[in-house]
Amino acid sequence: MRGYDRVGLGWRPELAAGILANLDRVDLVEVIADDYVGAGRGALRALQTLAIQVPLVLHGISLGLASAAPVDRRRLDALARVVGAVEPQGWSEHLAFVRGGGLELGHLAAPPRRDATLGGLAANVARARAIVGSAPALENVATLIDPPGSDRDEPAWLADAVAATGGELLLDLHNLHANAVNFGFDAHAALARLPLARVRFVHVAGGAWIGNDGGRRRVLDDHRHDVPAPVFELLADLAARTPNPLTVIVERDGDYPPIEHLLAELDRARSALAGGRARVAA
Amino acid sequence: MSASLEAYLARLYLDADARRAFAADPRGAAARAGLDETDVAALEQIDHAGLELTARSLQAKRQARPRRGWLARLLVR
Repeated sequence: MRGYDRVGLGWRPELAAGILANLDRVDLVEVIADDYVGAGRGALRALQTLAIQVPLVLHGISLGLASAAPVDRRRLDALARVVGAVEPQGWSEHLAFVRGGGLELGHLAAPPRRDATLGGLAANVARARAIVGSAPALENVATLIDPPGSDRDEPAWLADAVAATGGELLLDLHNLHANAVNFGFDAHAALARLPLARVRFVHVAGGAWIGNDGGRRRVLDDHRHDVPAPVFELLADLAARTPNPLTVIVERDGDYPPIEHLLAELDRARSALAGGRARVAA
Repeated sequence: MSASLEAYLARLYLDADARRAFAADPRGAAARAGLDETDVAALEQIDHAGLELTARSLQAKRQARPRRGWLARLLVR
């Protein structure tokens, strides 16, 4: 593995003590930015303290950038305060909409993949860049439904999103894997069509099979299970396809195993990166 | 009009009654929501099983959102 590839963990309260006790094995942490939007000075000081101890990136979940509707200025102002206080090594958001018609979804939904959404996305990212001071890396999302109103497939959508915003793609390999399984396309072929020169940040996670009564089963990106082998294979493939230094975050959001188990997943990610890099060198 | 489609999708994802009405008459329900013909036609082709799974998943994830302020509790007295 190249010395500049890094592997870290999503910072969660249940994992905090384990991470802090193993900083020699965790290259960086990714903190949910929304937890600090509107937070008091004490909470921001705590986050600043963490950023001194370990490299830190911020991850947003509620801006709803991939939308025809303009992102709320107040949300961006609040995020700018967090970014300004912590000075993270980067920040990211999702290619998703999270509200519509005055209704809050409370989580991420895949938007219609079409020009109208791209126009809204580009305007929202430009607004975010102007207010926060930097543009977010944009993350592909998992979905259980092919977004209605779409006129292009996911690789084309992601390439268009990056081109329209001039930004970077945070490539979530479990989301890519889940969508490939759910909608019957080859994840490695899709990976080859992505703008990999614009990828520096990567997520890996696990999921579970779900299904309706009598319906076909699908993969849910729940972050409550181990990273599956196909995702590590995608990581190796990615490392072979791009010379970019990669920063990989293992995400876990429930059913937490002992920290040693998660640290072993970080090591497995490092091995996958090393394997991909070795393919290039061979 | 993507904003209209997003608004209608948000309603479908959140409201079981809206999903039932839509399942009974996709074209009529989408048209009554004010969507243009392109979006009405798109919604006629929707994957109903995927729609239901998406609604359930969003509900579960809303309930599992991380707590606010835990870092402060951990690191600041």
